[in-house]
Amino acid sequence: MLLVATTLTACGGGGDDGTKASAPKAPATIPELTKDPLTLSFIWFDWPPAHALEDFANAEYKKERPNATIKVNTVPNANWHDAMFTQFAARKTDFDIAILDSQHIGEAVTNGNILDLTDFVKNNIDVNAYNPYLLAAYGQFPQAETGKRDENASLYGLPLLGDTWTMIYRKDLIGDKPPQTWDEMISVAEKCQADHPGVSGLAFHQANGSDAAAVTYNTVNGVYGGNLWDAKTRKIEGVLNDAAGQEAMDVLVNKMKPLTAKGSGNWFIDEVNAAVAQGKACIAFNWIAASGGLLDPKESTLGTTREQILDKLGFATLPSQKTNLVPLGGMGMHVSAYSPTANQAEALNFMKWFERADIQKKWAAAGGVPSRTDALESPEFLNAGPFNQVYTDSVPRMRDMWNVPEYARLVDIENTNVNAALNGAKKPKDALDDIAKEQQAVLDSSSRKGGGGL
Amino acid sequence: MSAPVPLTTDPGRVASATPPAPGRSRRLSDRGLAVAFTSPALLLLLAMSVFPLLWALYLSFTDYSATRGGAAHFVGFGNYTAILTSAQVHQRALTTLIYVVGAVTLQTVLGFAIAYLISRRTHGRGLLTTLFLVPMMLSPVVVGLFWRFMLDAQFGVINSMLGSLGLGQVEWLTRQRTALVSLIVVDTWQWTPFIMLIALAGLTAVPKYLYEAASIDRASEWFRFRTITLPLVWPLLLIAVLFRAIEAFRLFDLVYILTSGGPGVSTETLSFHVYKVAFLGFNTGTASAYGILMVLVVIVLTQLYLRYLNKLKEG
Repeated sequence: MLLVATTLTACGGGGDDGTKASAPKAPATIPELTKDPLTLSFIWFDWPPAHALEDFANAEYKKERPNATIKVNTVPNANWHDAMFTQFAARKTDFDIAILDSQHIGEAVTNGNILDLTDFVKNNIDVNAYNPYLLAAYGQFPQAETGKRDENASLYGLPLLGDTWTMIYRKDLIGDKPPQTWDEMISVAEKCQADHPGVSGLAFHQANGSDAAAVTYNTVNGVYGGNLWDAKTRKIEGVLNDAAGQEAMDVLVNKMKPLTAKGSGNWFIDEVNAAVAQGKACIAFNWIAASGGLLDPKESTLGTTREQILDKLGFATLPSQKTNLVPLGGMGMHVSAYSPTANQAEALNFMKWFERADIQKKWAAAGGVPSRTDALESPEFLNAGPFNQVYTDSVPRMRDMWNVPEYARLVDIENTNVNAALNGAKKPKDALDDIAKEQQAVLDSSSRKGGGGL
Repeated sequence: MSAPVPLTTDPGRVASATPPAPGRSRRLSDRGLAVAFTSPALLLLLAMSVFPLLWALYLSFTDYSATRGGAAHFVGFGNYTAILTSAQVHQRALTTLIYVVGAVTLQTVLGFAIAYLISRRTHGRGLLTTLFLVPMMLSPVVVGLFWRFMLDAQFGVINSMLGSLGLGQVEWLTRQRTALVSLIVVDTWQWTPFIMLIALAGLTAVPKYLYEAASIDRASEWFRFRTITLPLVWPLLLIAVLFRAIEAFRLFDLVYILTSGGPGVSTETLSFHVYKVAFLGFNTGTASAYGILMVLVVIVLTQLYLRYLNKLKEG
């Protein structure tokens, strides 16, 4: 696999003498669209929003462009980054729109894999309709400061699906009022676990794949006043593992982990949902976009109807502690630089259509999480799911990870070390110090000759 | 005077005088035909194996990255030095070694034992052999997925069975020691039949007259096993061990599905680490050197092993 991949890429990619690639520019106005049948392909990972997008787009976009068919290609979550970037590496993609995590943008832009949409956005998108940070998080590079958008920075994508964590709690076990602080949440979970044998106090992401354990630590880090890095000086060591960072790791490993189910050290989205649906957790944390299945009576032991389930399950914004930060999730749409011209034009047209106010509301009604403020505050969105209010309330509280070309390695270092700490393979302090040291080495190794990547 | 007419006909001369069959090109000699038939396979081999290998060898001396593009700069043995001196690589090498030794030993003992027992049966041998071979025919990804469910600490059937016996839950995939043991067990479940198959072939090939002679001499069962069965099957068994060791050395799929290398990096094998270097950071030069080093290790160990096998045969 490696040999074939290196051959394909090395043979096709040389020749520009080491100059840094930059993203090619998309036209400011949408070129003339083809009248021939055309399939507009996306790439995403396999989860309910991917299927919802394909159904929604084929139902609605076809009304305006009957010759266009939308195909959302899906891969397992763990292969998502590889599936996109190996194709980017080969300078040939079988997708027209890549749905990238916000942190993937830096890698794709630096390598010239996606189109620069700055001029297109200026001419076609009402940027004032969005919370500036949402627009920046899913499109801007270099990365915006938390909560802000740099209007002079370039944009390489537009929001597709907003997301953040919601706290899912058992109203029948801990009461209707959700805990307000992180410390209170832990003590409530502890009491619930003690009072209800067989039900664990907490359920959250701990796996070492994707960004599972890393997001969990980053969330606790943010809540306890820590920082992931100093973006201006690109400093991680001494920042991540400062006193606040150590406290967050201590809370996660020594206070939260003992309240989880035995063997939950490899849990991610599906396993947490399964624990909630089977009534095995008092309080759980999961991405809002992945929570829809919890209300399906066929998947749940909590009730035979949606209403019965909702009598037992509550959804709330994350408790605060020293800060009220929550993790930024979700993804944006980005046009492949290697897609045929006709498909790129169709992709731009789709994105302009998708960001319209009326379509964003329809997307919300179809189960999507929109990004325009008017859609987020619309009854179509707020009434579509019991967790949607949580998202709207969480938007001003969001913080992202590092959006740099080295993201995949940074998140792997954090994932493996947090997972090691959660599963007793490393002491919490050692794990945090190792994360800081190894991540700093990755950021500092850009000028290293030979041995990169170890 | 006319030329004498031969009384007999020389078939060779007649044949040579016969004109070639219509439609057959005079240029396509037997050698030409051989080249024509083998060249597609050779070209495929060159394109898919030899050229990529040579290209990877070239890249291993550069800082090339598949995604960043740009020219590949020569870094000499920089990649090789970095890999050979990396504590991370040493840790993965140790994990891989423990895994290979554990899995192959277990598979050899079990595989040979099963083959020995089957070879002593007269009825149902074919059916038993076929049943034992089923795990080997499954995709490692499928095997990984269903073992992942079976070993799940909360909902898995293994812990459920332990629970019904009054034993506590075991965290099979999320604790450092049990995770590696679980990988070895799953690999053993799938690949013991391979060793069994080879051993069975060896056992059935042992001449019966040797056992008959031993019986006449009233040799014990253990003596017959030690002096007849084992020495005759041993070379074949060692070849099976060689194949399994090479396979186990490049283990990737089961790790990817069952543990993702966790907890932490405690079950990351060398192949899994190469994958991360190659596809997370897209450090293609380093990953190529890493791959080349792994190939070299396998080649050197195989050569040593084959020499031992040859000596054994000569002995």
